[in-house]
Amino acid sequence: MIELKNIVKIYTLGEVKVAALNGVDCNIKTGEIVSIMGPSGSGKSTLMNLIGCLDRPTSGTYLLDGTDVSRLNDDQLAAIRNKKIGFVFQSFNLLPQATAVANVELPLVYSGTGNKRQRASEALELVGMAQRATHRPSEISGGEQQRVAIARALVNNPSLILADEPTGNLDTQTSKGIMLLLQRLNNQGITIILVTHEEDIAAYTQRTIYLRDGKIVSEKKR
Amino acid sequence: MNIWESTISSWQVLYANKMRSSLTILGIVIGVSAVVFLVSFGRGHEANITGIFESMGANAIYITSASSMTQGITGATGSITLEDAEALANPNRAPSVALVAPLTEKLAKVVYGDENSTVDIMGTTPDIAQVISYPVEIGEFITEQDVRRGARVAVLGSKTVTDLFKTENPLGETIRISGTQFEVIGVLEEKGGFIGSADDFIIIPLTTMQSRILGQTSARGRPIQTIAVKAMSTDQIDAATEEVTAILRQRHNIREGEDNDFTIIDMQEILSSMREVLGIMQVFLGSVGAISLLVGGIGIMNIMLVSVTERTREIGIRKAVGAKRRDILRQFLIESAMLSLSGGIIGLTIAALGTWAITGIELGPYPVKAPMGIDIVIIALTVAVVVGLASGIYPAYRAARLDPIESLRHE
Repeated sequence: MIELKNIVKIYTLGEVKVAALNGVDCNIKTGEIVSIMGPSGSGKSTLMNLIGCLDRPTSGTYLLDGTDVSRLNDDQLAAIRNKKIGFVFQSFNLLPQATAVANVELPLVYSGTGNKRQRASEALELVGMAQRATHRPSEISGGEQQRVAIARALVNNPSLILADEPTGNLDTQTSKGIMLLLQRLNNQGITIILVTHEEDIAAYTQRTIYLRDGKIVSEKKR
Repeated sequence: MNIWESTISSWQVLYANKMRSSLTILGIVIGVSAVVFLVSFGRGHEANITGIFESMGANAIYITSASSMTQGITGATGSITLEDAEALANPNRAPSVALVAPLTEKLAKVVYGDENSTVDIMGTTPDIAQVISYPVEIGEFITEQDVRRGARVAVLGSKTVTDLFKTENPLGETIRISGTQFEVIGVLEEKGGFIGSADDFIIIPLTTMQSRILGQTSARGRPIQTIAVKAMSTDQIDAATEEVTAILRQRHNIREGEDNDFTIIDMQEILSSMREVLGIMQVFLGSVGAISLLVGGIGIMNIMLVSVTERTREIGIRKAVGAKRRDILRQFLIESAMLSLSGGIIGLTIAALGTWAITGIELGPYPVKAPMGIDIVIIALTVAVVVGLASGIYPAYRAARLDPIESLRHE
């Protein structure tokens, strides 16, 4: 489903050019659950942003479901993010003034889907947050917020969920619950890629890709 | 995201920041209420003034004696006589003149039963009804015969009737004007509330006025105050003025180079120059309001820029889940347009209350009018929305162009 070929991403910081990714080749198949690990500055986040169609590579090709998305414009990328990709962030990134169910509806708002409230409620049900539908993020716990965020990632039936340190702000017990939820979603056929720096979390995935200095240095299958 | 959803979500954002939103729209509120209030007031004022002039007759010119100051020591009140009026009515010498009505006015005490009132008594001829339009509501107007006979008959303005007779039918009743008995033969239609005295006066035959009220022994050769002249048409006002001037100069033996001993007042001319002054005043008032709208617009732009910075993360989230540039652009444009529109609506409400509050207040000779026309309402709201959109464009453009990754990192 994801084919990365010789991906290079160079950032220009003033006069200096920094290669965040320096020739990444990687394939991820539909239905896999994969973790990406590596030290700070290894290019994990840059790689996630590229896979998530939030950014374009400086060179190389990225085929998502056979489509080359590396040369699409901003609006085309927005449409792909909306339809195919769900994001889960370390800091949850829910809209603070909106209720849980309104947050979950957000992707549907931009895809122009009908039945928003119903579909959002179903997604909340799926992550066990139906009883928190009318709560605002500030009124629920971190773990609950992350579940709402996962419901938002799910609501448009994406084929891929990208989670950037999804348990980074949560305690061990809550983290476990989130990982089990992600595993369950993976069992239903959704491809999941997550960035983490905890081996415990990576242990929930089938495969771990190790990055260092913008390159894949090793891989571990479980 | 459709417009309706954007509007609702914009409203929620603005409502969530009530204090800031209210302060932001203050400039627009003040601007719109000032413009609408001042323009309405100006229009009412213009309508009042126009009404006064129109009640004095369209196409009418008035000839009065030049004031005693310009005339010198002798001949204090007047050089104009009834014979002058008759001369002006000659169609051969003054073809542009349609009608001539001499008139003399005096305030006098009028008594009916226990009621008494000081009323403007106008001695004139039947033609006055056409020069200045005086439609009779009940009864009849004074006739040529009344004037020839010096009949003691009176036609009353509607307010005078109410003052003296309350609800009683005045026709055929006898009133006393300066001690002389008069029979009421007619009542005029109400002219409206432009000026207090528009409906508070009594018309009697000129001859009766001179002999009974002014105590002049004969109408002949006696000065009269005013000759009201109606031109054939508005276009012929200038021609009529020239003819009148020529006839009067000749009759008064005024030599070439000497000043007229009379004054001609052209109502149309005065009205149009008054309108011009009022027009300039309105433009002036409008520009003051426009400046405040401009300042209000800058205020909105300022706050929208702050809002974009504050909500950078929200913009990042929206973009991550699939918002396109135009979605973000639209959201912020709608927000600023709504801000401004709410300001406009509040401003209109304040202006409506203001105009309502001042309407009817006796300011000067007539009650204040301030009609808030639908056109002003529409223009004010349109301008408010346009100001909102214009001041929202730059902030919205900045928001739409934000990079999603950097926005998500923004604290």
